[in-house]
This record gives sequence, C-alpha cells and structure tokens, in this order.
Amino acid sequence: MTVAAGIGYALVALGPSLSLFVSVISRKPFLILTVLSSTLLWLVSLIILSGLWRPFLPLKANVWWPYALLVVTSVCFQEGLRFLFWKVYKRLEDVLDSFADRISRPRLFLTDKLQIALDYSSQLHAAGGLGHGVAHAVFFCLSLLTPAFGPATFYVERCSKVPFFLISAIIGLAFVTIHTFSMVIAFEGYAKGNRVDQVIVPVIHLAAGMLTLVNFASEGCVIGVPLLYLVASLTLVHCGKMVWQRLLETRNQSSASG
Amino acid sequence: MDRNQRPRSLLDSLGEELIAILTPVSICMFTVVLLVCILNSDPSSSSASFSSIATAAYAESDSDSSWDKFVGAFLNSLVFVAAITVATFVLVLLFYLRCVKFLKFYMGFSAFIVLGNLGGEILVLLIDRFRFPIDCITFLILLVNFSVVGVFAVFMSKFSILITQGYLVWIGVLVAYFFTLLPEWTTWVLLVALALYDIAAVLLPVGPLRLLVEMAISRDEDIPALVYEARPVIRNDSRLVQRRVWRERRASQNDNNDIENTANRNEVGRVVRSIDVEEEHVGSSERAEISVPLIDRRPDQAENSETFLEGIGLGSSGAIKLGLGDFIFYSVLVGRAAMYDLMTVYACYLAIIAGLGITLMLLSVYQKALPALPVSIMLGVVFYFLARLLLEVFVAQCSSNLVMF
Repeated sequence: MTVAAGIGYALVALGPSLSLFVSVISRKPFLILTVLSSTLLWLVSLIILSGLWRPFLPLKANVWWPYALLVVTSVCFQEGLRFLFWKVYKRLEDVLDSFADRISRPRLFLTDKLQIALDYSSQLHAAGGLGHGVAHAVFFCLSLLTPAFGPATFYVERCSKVPFFLISAIIGLAFVTIHTFSMVIAFEGYAKGNRVDQVIVPVIHLAAGMLTLVNFASEGCVIGVPLLYLVASLTLVHCGKMVWQRLLETRNQSSASG
Repeated sequence: MDRNQRPRSLLDSLGEELIAILTPVSICMFTVVLLVCILNSDPSSSSASFSSIATAAYAESDSDSSWDKFVGAFLNSLVFVAAITVATFVLVLLFYLRCVKFLKFYMGFSAFIVLGNLGGEILVLLIDRFRFPIDCITFLILLVNFSVVGVFAVFMSKFSILITQGYLVWIGVLVAYFFTLLPEWTTWVLLVALALYDIAAVLLPVGPLRLLVEMAISRDEDIPALVYEARPVIRNDSRLVQRRVWRERRASQNDNNDIENTANRNEVGRVVRSIDVEEEHVGSSERAEISVPLIDRRPDQAENSETFLEGIGLGSSGAIKLGLGDFIFYSVLVGRAAMYDLMTVYACYLAIIAGLGITLMLLSVYQKALPALPVSIMLGVVFYFLARLLLEVFVAQCSSNLVMF
C-alpha cells in the first residue's frame, strides 16, 4: 500500500521480538551471537527441506494432502535439528564453564558453574528461540512484503476479508511466539530429563503447522488463525509457569545457602 | 553474595569484540541494500551502464547467450584482478622505497575523490529521487566541506572515533554501491575471483599482501591504508610507547604472533585483518604473563588462554581491525542479492556473518594474517544460489497458500 503500511506489516510480525531484542538481548553480546546462530540454523534447515521437496514442487493448487505431508516432514526435520542444537549447546556450556573456572579473574567474578545456569540459561534459551522465530517471520512473511511498499495491496481468494500481507504477518507473529517459547520449554525439558516437556514441544509445533492447513478451506483463516493464537498462548502460559517455578526454586536455594 | 552487586559476569563480555565488528559491517550492508532498493526501484531512471576497468574486456548485454556472458564475465574479472595485482605490487614497491608520505597523500586524495565524486553522484541521485529542493551552490559547499572533514577524520588521529568509523563506513557504502552497478554475471564471477586472489595474495610467500605485512612488521611501522578499527584507542604518544613495548617483547620472545593487517581501500579486495591478542609462549607449558596495553586495562594483568574462544573476544584484549575492502565486497554481494529479492538478501547476510565468525575463529587458532574475504564470499555465493533456486519456490508455494510451519 505505502511505505507506512509496509513498515506496519513488518512491525506486526516482528514488533514483540524487536522489543525483546532491544531490551534484553542487545545488552549481552553473547545473546546476539546466539540469535544469529540459531537464525542461521533455521535457514539451513529450510534450505535442506526445500532441496528435498524441490522435485515435487509446484504442488497442485487445491489439493491439501501434499501440503500436509510437507508440513509433517518439515516439522519432524526441524524438531530433530532442535535436539542436535541442544547437544551442541550442552557442549558449548561445558567449554564455557571450564573456561570460567580457569580464568579466575577478579574482574569476572564468575567461578561458579551454577551461576551461568541459573542466571542466564533462560535468557540464552529464549535468545535461541527468538532466532528461530525471527528467521521464520523473515522468510515466510517479510520476504514477500516488497510489493506492500508500493501503491496497491493483494488479497488471496481463500481469505478474502483481509489483505494477504496482514494475515501472513499475523500468522508470523503467532509462530514467532511459539518458536521463542517452545525453545525454552524444550531445553528445560532436555536439561531436567522431563519427558512431558520434551514431548510437548514437537506436539505443539506439529499442531500449529497442521492448523495452518485449515486455511485451505475457503474462509478457513477465520477459524484457523484464532486457533493458532490459542496454541501460541498455551505455549506462553506453559513456559511462564515453568520459568516461574524455576525462579522460586533458585530463590529458595540461594536463601538457604547465603 | 548478593546477586545485584555482582559486576559484569562472563556472559556480559563474551563476544563483545565480535559484535563490535559485526555492527559496522551490518550497518554498511544495510545502507547499501537501502540505497539499492531506493535508487533501483524506479526503472525510468536506469543509470547508464557503469563502465570501468571491470567491464573493459566485455560489456554484457541481455541478448547474449549464457555461455557468452560467462566467458565475458571471466575475462572481465581476469582484467580486474590483474589490475589489482599490479597496483598492489606498486604499493609494495613504494613502501619498500619508504615513500610513506607519498602513500599517505595518495590515500587522503583518493578518500577525497571518493567522498566528493561518488558521494556527490549518489546524493544527486537521491535528491532527484526525492525531489528535494536544494540549489547547486549550497550543495557544492556542503559536499566539499563534508569531504574535507572526511579526509581529516580518516587520516588525522585526533578525531573522535565515532566520526572516523562513520566516515569509513560511508566510504565503504559509496564504493560498494557503485560496484553493484556492474552487470550481473560480471559481479558474481568477480567476487569469486577476488576471493581466490585474496587467498593467493595473503597466504602465498610471493603474495603482495604478505610482503607488505612482513615489511611493516620488520620496520615496526603502520601501513598507510584505510582500516576500520573496532575499538577506540588512545591517540597519544603513550600509545606509541606501549606498542613499541609490545612489539619488543614479542620480538624477544620469538613467537608466532598476531600481525597487523591492513587493507588498502583503493586496491579493493585485499583483505587482511589482525587481532591484537595476547601472545603465547611457544614451547613452554606454563602460561606466560603478558601485558597487552589497552586503554581500559592496567598492564601486567592479562592472563593467557589458548582456547578457540579467543576468537570471539574472550582473549580480552583484542582490537579487531578489518580492512575496508572487506566491507566493500560484502556489501557488493548483499547489494547484488538485493537486486533479486529480499529473501536472498537475508540468506546472504547470514552467510557472510557466519563466514566472518569462522574467519575470526581461524584467526585465533592460526595467529597470523588471514584473508577475510574467501570464506564469507564463498558462503554468500553458495547461499545466494541455493536461496534463489530452491528456497524461493518452496516458501512462495507455502505462504501463498497460508501454510506455514
């Protein structure tokens, strides 16, 4: 529509992550590096997926089951990569811990392995999830926004009430939330060995992917998008509960010890 | 121990230097993408074909076949790389003959020409695009003032570091924008050719850049060139004294050390970087106590650490220097990607950042002058073609049907 509208759509999709970035992540350089590397990982996974699916594209317009297959394979692949990311992160944390132990500088005040885990791990996990979410929003939503800076707008037949850019930005926002917080949940689950947490993340991801298939029905986005937001808020609530519990735990711990 | 009183912990300082160099690179790339999007979106104002030494052998036109275009681009790149090699050897010769004053004067002169000429052209294009009302005389006065301040900022050492860094980034943006005006095939082949040339020039024993760096070290002088320095340094006599101390100690310890690498903006494509990291005492198992003076640390405090984490700034004392040629060619790659689509821009940006990170880690492992172009350019080119051929179809398919995951 105009430059203002284009920027507006971009901010709808990326506004909360931008504020999260500016307030929390830009303070600590390591978090910025985490965001960049997780974005890169998501991009690589997307490229591999598109390489695998390239011979079968373009898919026929109105048949929905190839898309279902596409979503299922993609989600499985990305969840597998998330587990790999966890392994790499574990190793990096060990290296950091040993490094902190070796460098006993007064300026750092950090010899306690526990401190890294308690103070910063949720920030690190959130940064990783934010990287995934931002990559999703950029590739699925922002990269198609270039026409939105021009004088007109675009509607898809399946969702004819809302401009295409707006609906993709709204879906992008939901997915950013899901990605950011499910990373925190997943890594907590892997760290504590909590089966429920470990399993719930792929389930959420798959459910969200499947819900977007509802958009295939004519005017399906009226149902699909609110359900998607329901899933996103579930993720948020679960993650908030988990972090709150952890905070209470550490507060009890530190008051008991110090 | 009250958590609130704890000063900066490990995670606060980790990777600080890497971010300090990533920020200006990102700003430069972003500005070039912005300029490309603004100035190329209007098809009626297509600029005349940019003829330079890089198109001397072959001027690409749309009607040629792919093979012709490829051969033409290859010839263009050969000519350009040959010209750069000759110019670099001339620079080495002049440095060898100790004509440092002449080199400094030439650098200042070329900075003035870039800021005045290229900057003026871009500003005229922008004024035309936005219909900004300004008259010639005001414009000329402002432009000349801007360029002169730029020359002083780059070559006098008493300027505020922020202004110097800003001018260096702006010079990089200007040159990069004009390189994106080259024809498409020529740009890609040229980038790959320059990456290969960079490896040869820095790592081969007869490479001109390597000769230059070795001469500079043996004479304990600075190479007069345009280099972006990521950390502010005290610009006074004490710095020189400190540096001499550092170099002497290094020479006496006879180590394999961090070298200062600088790149000449004019001879674009040569990239050499350095990181002033603490030295390692080869052959001794105990950690050497070395002081690397910097503005905010007292001497004799540093301790050595030999993990790969030094590359991301844990070494604690490095000022990372990146030659301006690096800035320019990263931005050329991203600008050329912007001419296709925003998706390729993002993919190439991530690839270049990843390449830069890898190069810095290699630097901390190998501890000598390394070319910064090859890894990033190769990753960038690979990601560009992957994104263009594979990713775009996939993503467009999915999101036009509002199927996302």
